[in-house]
Amino acid sequence: MAAAPDPTSLKDLLSRCSRHPAFLGALIGILAAFSQSLLISAGGPEAYGFCVACHTRDLVNGMTNIITGASLALAPISKNAILPVMSVVGVIIGAFLSAKVHKEHKIKKTDYQEYLIYFIGGFVVLQLAMVFGGCPYRAALRTGYGDITALLFIIMMGLGVIAGTLLMLRKAEKEMN
Amino acid sequence: MATGILSKEVAIYAVPLVTLLLGILIGYLAQRSGYCSIGGFRDYVLFRHTRLLSGYVTLIVASFFGYLLFWFVTPAAMEHFFWALTSNPLMPVPGAPAGLSPAAYLILAAIPGFLIGLICVLLGGCPIRQTVMASEGSYKAAFFFIGMCVGSVIFATFVSGWVVVLMRAFGLGV
Repeated sequence: MAAAPDPTSLKDLLSRCSRHPAFLGALIGILAAFSQSLLISAGGPEAYGFCVACHTRDLVNGMTNIITGASLALAPISKNAILPVMSVVGVIIGAFLSAKVHKEHKIKKTDYQEYLIYFIGGFVVLQLAMVFGGCPYRAALRTGYGDITALLFIIMMGLGVIAGTLLMLRKAEKEMN
Repeated sequence: MATGILSKEVAIYAVPLVTLLLGILIGYLAQRSGYCSIGGFRDYVLFRHTRLLSGYVTLIVASFFGYLLFWFVTPAAMEHFFWALTSNPLMPVPGAPAGLSPAAYLILAAIPGFLIGLICVLLGGCPIRQTVMASEGSYKAAFFFIGMCVGSVIFATFVSGWVVVLMRAFGLGV
């Protein structure tokens, strides 16, 4: 009798894979390239497979254009298609499903001051990301595509994180003393 | 004009569907793994943890090999792969405000890069992490996402034009 593959260990492997960031990183890279080779005829910039900031921009501006008849700027791929790119909607649905399935969905409220800070933070981050032409994810895709400015963006982002971490550490030290 | 596997008539219907499915898969796995680019750098600087950073580094490497693979399969879809060899290496892949000089694009990559790193590490996550946390029920992350939505309309109406005017005022237009 042939030995059947052990279902528990395969399941365990899949579960461990799905929880490792490197697996998702590889998946996004390959799928972004695949979606470009599939959809580029619709138009749009290259290396545009996945980007949270740009795709939010396309979604909001595209929907605003469709509903109100305005003509806000958006990427050609979203302008030509019947609906703008929907990956951000997908991320929200997927993360919500996953949180529900694994019982990690929990409403967390804080005070209004913090809401305001996060609102302004999101606003400013989007302006900066659009000025560059992508969030950290599109920067990674563009680096893979051979764009040197995107590599500069990632290096500067690393420096910014170091500066921010030092700020946080100093603040924590002050609170301890 | 680049042509992909699907013809234009089909692709315009496929765009929302394919990106939606892609997003659901990425969102599901991002929630499972706590995927975050900024968090990767932060954990490495603070604790020398490489788990999250490995996700971001793998993304860069995998996107190169992914584009290389599909460049072999459908060369017409990857018109400018590898960008640095087929175009002006100092110009970015289109997507940012157009009509500026290479020096302007380097400035527009360096300053936003530094500021995004700084702001996101103070707020505790990059855009995808905030979106995922909003789906997990965090109200402050939801306000971050609302801020991005409002910001995208404001960027298209005002900021995009201002940046071009400002850069041209410094003599960095084409």
